[in-house]
Amino acid sequence: MNRNAYIDEQKGKFQRKALAVLPIYYPKEILTALDILSVELWGPPGPPRGADVGRVQAYVCALVRNALAFIAAKGVDKADGLLFPHTCDSIQGLASVVADMGGWEKPIFNYVHPKGELRPSAKRFVTEELGALVAELEAFGGQSLEPSRLKEAIELHREIDAVKDTLRIRRKFLPQNDSQLYQTLRRGEYLWPEEHLQELQALQKDLGNDVAQNGVPLLLSGIVPEPMDIFEHLNAAGAFVAADDYAAIGRRIIGTRMDTNANMDSLVDDRFAAPPCSTLSSDPKSRLHFLDKLLELSGAKGVIMHTIAFCEPELFDIPAIKVHLEKRNIPLLMLETEMESECSGPTITRIEAFVEMVESYRSAA
Amino acid sequence: MITRRVQYEVVKRAVAPIVTNFETWQKRTKRLLKGKKSKPPFGPPLESVQKLKSLMTRHYLEGRYADGAVPVAWVTSGFPVEILRAMGFHTVYPENHAALCGVQRLVPDLSSAAEEAGYSRSLCSYARTDIGSVLTGNTPVGRLPKPDILACCTNICQTVLYWYRSLANEFGVPLVLIDTPFVYRKMRQHDASYVGDQIKELIAAAEKVTGKRFSTEKLVEVLSLSTESTRLWGECLEASRSKPAPWTGIDGFFHIAPIVTMRGSHACNAYYRHLRDELQHRAKNGIGGIVKEKHRLLWDNLPIWFGVRDLSNQLAQNDFNIVVTTYTNAWAEAGRRMDPKRPYESINEAYTRVLLNENLEARLELMSRLCKEYSVDGVLLHSDRSCKPYSVGQVDIKDQLAKKLGVKVLLLEADHNDPRAFAQEQASNRLQAFMESFE
Amino acid sequence: MSELSAIGVDVGSTSWKAVVIDSTGTIRESLVMATHPVIDKQTREGLEKLCQMANITKKLPIGATGYGRKKVEATRALTEITCHARGAASLAGKEGTLIDIGGQDTKVIRFAKDGKVEDFAMNDKCAAGTGRFLEVLLNRLQVPYDEVTEMVAQTDRAVPVSSTCTVFAESEVISLVSEGESVPAILNGVHHSLAFRVSSLLGRQGQDRQLFMSGGVALNEAMAAMLTRSLEKSVMVLPQPQLVGALGAALSVL
Repeated sequence: MNRNAYIDEQKGKFQRKALAVLPIYYPKEILTALDILSVELWGPPGPPRGADVGRVQAYVCALVRNALAFIAAKGVDKADGLLFPHTCDSIQGLASVVADMGGWEKPIFNYVHPKGELRPSAKRFVTEELGALVAELEAFGGQSLEPSRLKEAIELHREIDAVKDTLRIRRKFLPQNDSQLYQTLRRGEYLWPEEHLQELQALQKDLGNDVAQNGVPLLLSGIVPEPMDIFEHLNAAGAFVAADDYAAIGRRIIGTRMDTNANMDSLVDDRFAAPPCSTLSSDPKSRLHFLDKLLELSGAKGVIMHTIAFCEPELFDIPAIKVHLEKRNIPLLMLETEMESECSGPTITRIEAFVEMVESYRSAA
Repeated sequence: MITRRVQYEVVKRAVAPIVTNFETWQKRTKRLLKGKKSKPPFGPPLESVQKLKSLMTRHYLEGRYADGAVPVAWVTSGFPVEILRAMGFHTVYPENHAALCGVQRLVPDLSSAAEEAGYSRSLCSYARTDIGSVLTGNTPVGRLPKPDILACCTNICQTVLYWYRSLANEFGVPLVLIDTPFVYRKMRQHDASYVGDQIKELIAAAEKVTGKRFSTEKLVEVLSLSTESTRLWGECLEASRSKPAPWTGIDGFFHIAPIVTMRGSHACNAYYRHLRDELQHRAKNGIGGIVKEKHRLLWDNLPIWFGVRDLSNQLAQNDFNIVVTTYTNAWAEAGRRMDPKRPYESINEAYTRVLLNENLEARLELMSRLCKEYSVDGVLLHSDRSCKPYSVGQVDIKDQLAKKLGVKVLLLEADHNDPRAFAQEQASNRLQAFMESFE
Repeated sequence: MSELSAIGVDVGSTSWKAVVIDSTGTIRESLVMATHPVIDKQTREGLEKLCQMANITKKLPIGATGYGRKKVEATRALTEITCHARGAASLAGKEGTLIDIGGQDTKVIRFAKDGKVEDFAMNDKCAAGTGRFLEVLLNRLQVPYDEVTEMVAQTDRAVPVSSTCTVFAESEVISLVSEGESVPAILNGVHHSLAFRVSSLLGRQGQDRQLFMSGGVALNEAMAAMLTRSLEKSVMVLPQPQLVGALGAALSVL
């Protein structure tokens, strides 16, 4: 079933409201608890189409340009509302363009999450911002947020995270290739969480005791794995994704939690327990430390930093990452794409050359 | 430490003034002998320019002796600097320094150093300029003092935070953040609480660095001066409501330096009093920034620092003047919310509700208001490649302004600091065609 | 004479190159043609011709590289990065950094003595900084390729060509000519511009190593000289610079 048909089914059969959500971080648990289906809008990939293509300049990241064109061309009309997290300057601009300059007539919500490290001021702000968002979403969804429902929703999402974490740590024991794995992972962007959990658990059943992946293990980091055929080319070149640090996937898995409570306070804590991300303005040192941990756990022999052209937050983290990996003698490939529908020839060549390079070191070692 | 402090004070109070006053005296003598004359298509040059040069030279000269003598902070242009000034910090504005580098066309070299270290060329050109300068030690102002603290406020963009974080790593000094929530619709209570809390955290951090206690009394003193600074700057800008405007928008880009870098100081206020008097005198006597003012323009976004002269010439030669800019106006707007009687609340509001931290509806309203107040018949929107918060939305603003006010609007693609991102010929042609369309 | 042992094919976007090497890895015969869109046909016919030229009767292993490598019926297909590193190391006899300025892209490859790739960077998003840049501007200045070296030697002066984009640079060059600037000086400026872009791509990869040059543009002596001047390091042009990739491909199946 394709995404649009799925949304129709959710709205028809379960009377759920659908909320289209822009990248990256948002309290999905609250939506689930309010019986709202979240449908994430990552692009879509491919050249932006429609009359509103030119409304955002070409030097703004393609994720934002494509989103505006898509929204204005009625591509998101199945959704009953739009939610814009305050991810970066460009998404901030997008939120204002859509709200103030036309293209969307239905409700719009904003979620401002604080930047930087955990400070008492930031903690208090998240608490109040979540409270404000809850009030707005209650009105939107037509029901109040029951603490018991919230607890259920939080526990459901924790279970999902736990399965994802297991799949992440034991990736090489999973027989599925990267394309298959990521298709399943990314369906979480629009599936009702219970169904997403079922699909993840089915994958988990396939985890064996023998190593199923024998290609060159790599760590992939970036915002979102688009074009999706990158996995096909990686696999064809003889590599696989041993560790994931994509904002859309790995950076949203909270592996260890201190708090076993499941309430609004624990949601606040979650904001600060998430893996480091440039869009959260995490300290670069914590980012490097996290990458080291991923490398250690996965045994990855090379890193691909897969950036989207013009992505300011991510590109500012690159120099420190470069220096760090150089010191550790870990090969690094910088790959820049622009939400194309498929990888270009030069991109494929880069991937292949990099795998050839890492492999030659692997066999020499 | 004491010797350094003595050095700093001597330079600040004696050497710098002597050096710059001598220069001023030299130039004044030359001018008296030459006489004040128009240089068509421009009107007579502003006398205040000499004072401006002295003021800024002094500022950077003092800076060379600041580190080790007084606490030094590197500050973003939108930061609530009054808090730091009340604690005696010497403040450095990397954005102002980067603009200087831009005007002097030093950016390609500086940016190359940053690019070699791994900073992508698609990043903000101010950041690349500054990081390149820090990495190479090259600067046109002799020497910039090392910071004891980095003070960053995200009310102008999120990029400054990524940029200052890199600087914090480079210098190994603390970064103090005032994260101002973007005002999508209205400023909410918890937005104000967040900013208020952060100001308290800022004060605690500043006390730690300086070893001094923060004094609300001192803050009120500085804030009164700041309020006066922004009021005076506003009066300078408002002089351009006259026809012809007594100075050009390009002049404004240069005379903005004190309000950005020295807001809240006596020297800044003295300077703007002088400038205001000169401008009001010219306005009263019909002395224009350009000799023949046929059309009046509004400029939006940062200046094209490396191309200001060419732009200025091309506009003046065609009898066009930029009489108002959202960029220069921003500092006058912010000041209207400052109130020494409510220091903490007004700082909170003044620095959250700035141009780039409010939604596009507010921006459009402001631009419409400015167009009317300054009797503008055309608008130049600088589509600045380096500045997403300022540039996203301009395409819509162009259509809205043309529709609502009937003004002609040009969207001009360029960059505020990197000439490599600018197609000179093509841009001049487009500007020429735009001006011809007014016939 | 060592026995002929392997064939290497480099199907580039502008030119098709093939070599036959002997068991010591020396190139014994080669063939260069402009790339034809129907790659498999060209490759079949080209290899036939090459085998005729070299008097090859038995079947030799074929290594393929270049953007069209997957269309070749080869024993092994590897990227041009890996093959250029192999070929360069073989010709240089030591480690180094290779600058390959091709028709449509420019590569910088840091290679070890045994030919392994240690790091690489590519500029393939736009024409500026590639052979195409030079081609477009030489055409605009109406200077044939074989006259470049002589013309560039006529003056020390270089008129700056500041546009970052090939299309804009073309307009700029036209303006310069109409303003009466001398063609040799403009030509110097064009080469300088290309060299500057290459040095940006080179970044820190060229440090503490000998720099080598390959690719069609390397045949232009002025380019090597200009690169040496702008990088302030000696750049050695590898022998038969266009064949480096094909050599590496052949070595990979030896």
